[in-house]
Amino acid sequence: MSYFMTHLHSGWHVDQAILVEEDRVVCIRFGHDFNEDCMAMDETLYGVMEKVQNFCVIYLVDITEVPDFNKMYELYDPCTVMFFYRNKHIMIDLGTGNNNKINWPMSDKQEVIDIIETVYRGASKGRGLVVAPKDYSTRHKY
Amino acid sequence: MSNVGTVKHIPKETRYNFLQMGAPASYVAGLGRGASGFTTRSDIGPAREGPSAEAIAEAMAKRGEEVPDPDALQDPDDERNLFAGTVYEADDEEADMIWESVDQRMDARRRAKREASEAEIAAKERAMNPKLQTQFADLKRSLSGLNDADWNAIPEAGNLTGKRRKHNLRLEENQNGRSYAVSDTVLADAASRNVILGELDAAQQEVSLNSLYTRRQTEHIQNGGYETPAGDGTMTDFVSIGNARDKVLSLRLDQASKDATNGSSTSVDPRGYMTALNSQIIQTDAQIGDIKQARQLLQNLIQSNPKHAPGWIAAASLEVHAKKMVQARKIIAEGCEKCPKSEDVWFHAAELNTPENAKVILGKAVQHVPQSVKIWLKAASLETDTTAKKRVLRKALEFIPNSVRLWKETVNLEDDPEDARILLTRAVEVIPTSVELWLTLARLETPENARKVLNSARARIPTSHEIYIAAGRLAEQSPSAVGDVKFEDDAARRQALAPQVDKLMAGAVARLTKAQAILPREQWLQEAERCETEGSPLTAQAIVKATIHLEVEEEDRRTVWLEDADRAEKGGFYEVARACFVVLLETFPKSPSVWRTAAEFEKKHGTPEAVQEILAKGVEHCPHAEVLWLMAAKELWVGGNVKGAQEVLARAFQQNEDSESIFLAAAKIAVETGETEAAQQILQKARAQADTDRIWMKSAVLERQLGKLDEALVTLEQAIAKYPHFDKLHMIRGQIYSDRNEVVNARNAYAQGCKACPKSIPLWILSSRLEEKAGVIIKARALLEKGRLYNPKNDELWAASVRMEERTGGPQQAKTLLARAMQECPTSPTLLAMGIFMENPQQRKSRSVDALKKAPDHAVVIVAVARLFWGERKIEKTRQWMQNAITADSDWGDAWGWWLKFERQHGEKERQEAVISACEKAAPHHGPTWQSVSKDLANVGKSTREILELVADRLE
Repeated sequence: MSYFMTHLHSGWHVDQAILVEEDRVVCIRFGHDFNEDCMAMDETLYGVMEKVQNFCVIYLVDITEVPDFNKMYELYDPCTVMFFYRNKHIMIDLGTGNNNKINWPMSDKQEVIDIIETVYRGASKGRGLVVAPKDYSTRHKY
Repeated sequence: MSNVGTVKHIPKETRYNFLQMGAPASYVAGLGRGASGFTTRSDIGPAREGPSAEAIAEAMAKRGEEVPDPDALQDPDDERNLFAGTVYEADDEEADMIWESVDQRMDARRRAKREASEAEIAAKERAMNPKLQTQFADLKRSLSGLNDADWNAIPEAGNLTGKRRKHNLRLEENQNGRSYAVSDTVLADAASRNVILGELDAAQQEVSLNSLYTRRQTEHIQNGGYETPAGDGTMTDFVSIGNARDKVLSLRLDQASKDATNGSSTSVDPRGYMTALNSQIIQTDAQIGDIKQARQLLQNLIQSNPKHAPGWIAAASLEVHAKKMVQARKIIAEGCEKCPKSEDVWFHAAELNTPENAKVILGKAVQHVPQSVKIWLKAASLETDTTAKKRVLRKALEFIPNSVRLWKETVNLEDDPEDARILLTRAVEVIPTSVELWLTLARLETPENARKVLNSARARIPTSHEIYIAAGRLAEQSPSAVGDVKFEDDAARRQALAPQVDKLMAGAVARLTKAQAILPREQWLQEAERCETEGSPLTAQAIVKATIHLEVEEEDRRTVWLEDADRAEKGGFYEVARACFVVLLETFPKSPSVWRTAAEFEKKHGTPEAVQEILAKGVEHCPHAEVLWLMAAKELWVGGNVKGAQEVLARAFQQNEDSESIFLAAAKIAVETGETEAAQQILQKARAQADTDRIWMKSAVLERQLGKLDEALVTLEQAIAKYPHFDKLHMIRGQIYSDRNEVVNARNAYAQGCKACPKSIPLWILSSRLEEKAGVIIKARALLEKGRLYNPKNDELWAASVRMEERTGGPQQAKTLLARAMQECPTSPTLLAMGIFMENPQQRKSRSVDALKKAPDHAVVIVAVARLFWGERKIEKTRQWMQNAITADSDWGDAWGWWLKFERQHGEKERQEAVISACEKAAPHHGPTWQSVSKDLANVGKSTREILELVADRLE
């Protein structure tokens, strides 16, 4: 579903996208459109895009086309989702140990909506770190 | 770059225009918004804080901007570059001189005028805010005119700063006003460390340090011994002071720790030392201070108010506390003079003096306060001789005839009951309101007189329940006091006495109610219990009967009384409980449950006759209560009275014509006594009258037992036609056929049964057993499978299947079947126990642990574990686990069987006997082997012991 969504084609566009947003969360997916994980994630993100449009805007960034942030944001995973609010990187405690980003594909739309809403609520109160409604640590799987 | 990282407001229409725009040339991503990265995974790649300096420089170069030279903007005054490396030479110096002279010349110009103006400004400043010194300058100048005398006349200025006070306060706070003498070791240590001090003689060092320590420097300096340089040295040597202080502290800590651990030092016996310390009277400064202060206070008190007795006593006790006995005696003697009317003062005076003196003092005391019981008693207690004591007390009674205590003391001293009686007679005349005295007197009197005494006591004190209870007990113990009847037999006597005592107590309660002095029922019950423990059961019963109806609502009488009875029974007060039951039965004669509870109580704590009596009465009142009839019959039968039991049952028939259980009981008695004909007749009648499935079954069983198989089969046919869904009928029929080796008939019977009652597990098992016996294993297996289909998750069927496979198909098949069974019933103890023994010996232990985890308190599993230990010859452990199994379920007969088998193999005769007797007591009923043995026709009528032995033989 990536072709229905807005892509950012340079570092400047990414920066502008983050800078112009006054009262919405900016959610950026870094990865490749052809990657399987990204496809799954894009599917979900596309599904929730309309629902969260009042408080979140979602962009896609190709990390080969825009390699500027690869080192800065450690974009080594096939699919990474990060959140910004008023030019501030919002961290989420997902229980995975990496609070900076979501680096696995999510297929449950409601979970994604919940996370975005939590980020929005926390960020609009001035928090830099929010706690995800669900614990995504892998230890529960075993 | 103040605008870096701020979100600007852009109108909505133009906000997203950037998406259509191209990026500016050589834009550094992240720089424009001041982004910073993070490092979480430095193992993969380096992260950095935003764009690096090089990246920025590169971008600027690309954009065509001038890269700023870092040295371009230097301070020009700082000759860093131009002349930084040159040498200061002669011509430089000359140039500097010239510049100096120029400066001086410039300074010299208009100097006079400038200085004048500066002085003017200074003067103005001084006039504006003058100095203190200048203000008093004239006075100071006049001081030169004073002579010596004037100087001496100037008073010293007082210390108004409060400095000293503060200083002292701090001292007290820190040290509690104490000063320490420093130990020699500390001094030596400090001295050896300080080289300067080493030049002084030892005495001087000691004193100097000491002085420092006690912080009395000023004093010592005034003494003038320390004007030496060394002394000055010590004044400033704070290091050594600190060291010394640490040392003292550590010494004290060592000592404390030694005390705490009760002495690690070997030379001193710590316990002895501690006791010695305890015996020492340590009066700390604080205590002494307190005593002094208190003494002064009390002195003031007794002087200002000499008529106040407690003041004198307090003053004397204070002296006693301060260990000044002489002073204390003096004070209290003075007190006695000043307050002769206070018994306390006299009493204390006697306490403080030696016995001889005390007697004299008390002699004086009774002159002043003849009415004081306390003093008289004290005087009596001072006498060692009994006669002297008696004399004192008699004298006391002359003065104070109405003191119960004095009378009691006097009576207690009398050895002869007769004298005591006379004394008490007089006592109750003088003090008619004392219950105690009346009761004591009654106890001493002969029964006849006791009654009179109690009667008069009752007249005097109508509100005392004790007197009534005593009267009741008297009536119980000495019936001659009430009536001139003699009884030989104890029971007869009790029976005759009971109504009298009851009447007495009822009257007592009525009278007490009239006098409005009735006790709450709880207290009455306690009184009753006390009476019982003191050996007056009749009185106890009478109290209960008279008072149990008090304070109970009409509707919850039954529950409350039952509770009372229960509590009394638990407390071991059987008479009280019995009385509760009597009242209950009188009030609720129509309630079978009450009769039953009462009968059970009698069975537990009473005689068989009492049980029979109660049951007989019970069936009279509730003729339709089958339970009571059956209990009565059973009691009689157990007591050996078969005739009586039969009579009871006959009476029961009259009342309950079609009661199944009574028919069955009658038939059972008939069978047990060997009257099979009668039994058959009874059952025939029962079949006609009651016509229930159990009766049909029992009659079939009886016929089978008697060997009349054809008749039994006929009966069964009829019964099955009537009750096709009663599985036992089918089972018996099948068993009869298979006993007669009529396999086809048996198979038909079972098939019919299985069809009619597919939920009956024994039926399925029996039919498969039949097929197995007949050799048709496939059919047997199929039957069991069918059974499992009808009854899923049933471990019995699974166990039967597994056992069958074990017998026929070999262990491997059994094992796989067991695995399937365990999946369906994972916590079944039977299957778990089977699983243990199907494993090979190495794995049995872990299997048993598993089984114990899954079914921790089931006898089957525990016995299996015990058998494992048995296999390992761990005798004691096996015994313990057998015991555990019995504790877990004493009704499980197989466990008993296993135990007996084990003891036969490894135990002594006594142990086997112990197991058998314990088993007889527990009377188990369950367990597959046990049931199969006990229900075997050959073993009908055998005792538990015989069955247990058979079971032990059969188990393998």
